[in-house]
Amino acid sequence: MFEGLPEKLKSYDLPADVRLLLLLRKAMDRGLVKTLGDIYNVLKGIVVKDPKMMGPFTRAYYDYFLNIDIQNGDRLSDAIRRSETFKKWRDDNLDRFGDNIDTEDLINHFLDDVHLTTYDIKEIISGRDIWDNDDPSQIDSPDGDGPLGAQRKHLDQMADYSDLTLEELLERMKEVMDQQNSKHSGGSHWVGTGGISPYGHGGAAKDGLRVGGTGGGKMARKVLNDRKFFPVDMDSIINDNNVDAALASLKGIIEESAHDELDIPETIDKGLKRGGLFMPEMKSITDEKLQVLLLIDNGGYSMDPFIRIVQTLFRKMKTRFAHDLETYYFHNTIYDYIYTDAHRSKYIPIKKILQKDPNYRVFIIGDASMAPYELNATSRNTYKELVAKFKRTVWLNPEPQRYWHHTFTIQVIKELIDMYPLTPRGIEKAVQEMNRKQA
Amino acid sequence: MALTEFWTGSEKYLCDRDLAQAFHMARVLGMPLLIEGEPGTGKTELPLQYAADNNLELFVYPTGSKSNVDQFVAKFDHVKYLRDSQIEILNAQRKEEGLSTRLSTGGRDPEKLEDYVIKGPAAKAYSSPNSVLLIDEIDKAPREFPNDLLYSLSHRKFIMPESGQIIEVSEENMPAIVITSNREQELPTAFKGRCIYHYIHFPETNTMREIITKHYPKVEDKIVDVALDIFYQLRKIGLERAPTTRELLNWLKYVKKFSTQEAVDKILKLEGIGALIKTQTDLQRIQKMILKDKDDFGRRSTAN
Repeated sequence: MFEGLPEKLKSYDLPADVRLLLLLRKAMDRGLVKTLGDIYNVLKGIVVKDPKMMGPFTRAYYDYFLNIDIQNGDRLSDAIRRSETFKKWRDDNLDRFGDNIDTEDLINHFLDDVHLTTYDIKEIISGRDIWDNDDPSQIDSPDGDGPLGAQRKHLDQMADYSDLTLEELLERMKEVMDQQNSKHSGGSHWVGTGGISPYGHGGAAKDGLRVGGTGGGKMARKVLNDRKFFPVDMDSIINDNNVDAALASLKGIIEESAHDELDIPETIDKGLKRGGLFMPEMKSITDEKLQVLLLIDNGGYSMDPFIRIVQTLFRKMKTRFAHDLETYYFHNTIYDYIYTDAHRSKYIPIKKILQKDPNYRVFIIGDASMAPYELNATSRNTYKELVAKFKRTVWLNPEPQRYWHHTFTIQVIKELIDMYPLTPRGIEKAVQEMNRKQA
Repeated sequence: MALTEFWTGSEKYLCDRDLAQAFHMARVLGMPLLIEGEPGTGKTELPLQYAADNNLELFVYPTGSKSNVDQFVAKFDHVKYLRDSQIEILNAQRKEEGLSTRLSTGGRDPEKLEDYVIKGPAAKAYSSPNSVLLIDEIDKAPREFPNDLLYSLSHRKFIMPESGQIIEVSEENMPAIVITSNREQELPTAFKGRCIYHYIHFPETNTMREIITKHYPKVEDKIVDVALDIFYQLRKIGLERAPTTRELLNWLKYVKKFSTQEAVDKILKLEGIGALIKTQTDLQRIQKMILKDKDDFGRRSTAN
């Protein structure tokens, strides 16, 4: 059952494959799932691997199981109010609450019903023809060798998935799906518009038994109203919200090396303690290296908003790794000298930079937008020399990538130096590309 | 049979309902529970309290920058092995020389390699059914460490070094494994995939009140009210390092020594705030805010 679930989760950028279904099934077999809210909790434990996945997961859950479509920035209650599922539930339950209950309270009741009402899911499913046909694996068929029984076996075997490869699983899953499709194609929605709502006439909700605790409804609300449960936008120019994501990608430039070395003092020390029985003692050495030249365009207003954030970004790196990180400044473009202070009062010839260790990684941050005559032969030559000396040189541009082709100087510089947008994803790509090149 | 009753905390420990559910689920499915969350939210407490409350054997592996699978699972004691095998030769020589006393190997037999395997917490936990295994702060471990655990987590077995002995545990007897992380580094996806994941949310006022009551049942409500009010305000103003449960409890430990009125005064004056605020910048910021408050107050009273 729930064949479409992994697909749905994937459409919300969540990692999911058939193993998820097998785990969910295992959880159901072991009685972990009694309510729809339990499904929320169980799936949450399996799918969500980061608080930032909570938001998309909650949306996917409501979309898949309840047909409630939560738009970006929507509040849960608004989305619920709009949905057919809620309208239908309200019509079925009108007599329960009377007329003068306000919608907000009604939504609370709805959420409680959805998340907390306990009933035997298998019973409800098997009690309905649509499910009988759609989901044969749920039936305890007396003849174990019929087609239905065979399928059940299939699933049981798959429940112990640790010995199977993913390919095998996918293959088997597909078999099962094909069979099911040929018999009956039905949705997997629990409560839907198709008339299979267990909350409908004589449905479970009315006779169901409430269990205490948080079935997830409250959590779902909290999650949807809090940006910290949504992934940061990897494609927006770096800002305070996604600076951490940018930092994470940037950490890729730290070169780590580990090797074992003979620990001579320790060998002697231990050997003496053992009464002259010397055995080699090894110690593992991890080296972390970070050599960065940061060249920042801090001239002109256009760059102002980005300078602070870029500096924060690299300063964070610097506090973690007190290694080589040097910052220089320029205005619009680099000629044969570069400034050593942010006020651009002291400068050194670019030759000095070019004498440095070629292992340095060079980040040039600037919008590369200027009058064409500014980007003269001297400047172009400087860029060529930089790239020739420092193989790992990238240009990070805060200008949105879609405008790049409008600016002539961006076009020119882009030909000389690999250019990436100053977004977390851009930085990630830049770092990947850098790491591929050897100094 | 695995202990899979729903456990909701003990007298001393309030287990958040969501966490309890995740823990329950992990045990039922025989998977490790990976808990992440802000520091000081009681991640490590869960397995400790669970083991204590249910009288289960507990094995703890605190992770550090030098952690490796050898320490965690088992290592072979080459030194003892060498010593013992030399003792055999020595004994033979002594016999030749007609000495009757023999040197002892302490009951170990160099023929039996397993005598020289020193088991780490993981091997011990896997060999005692229904124990509790805590891997604390796994994010402090080198990157290979979680990857090295993948096999044993999904196949529930360890292979002992040198002796080749296999320690295997059935799904029913699987120890309750709890892994905590402060998210200082991202764990490998494959590793996370083998765990049930739970992120501890910072407790809300009501839950926090219950937590306080569990720790200090005698503290007056009034003190708790005032302290909570200030505590949550401090968390809201966006400090570099927001105070956490642990720090709040420490603060209360300090003020509860005084009488109710004194304690309330001390809280309002932010006395002993060092228990809550841990960085210099934050402390300065708060002091500035207090001064500003006083200024405003002064101006208002003169205006009247």
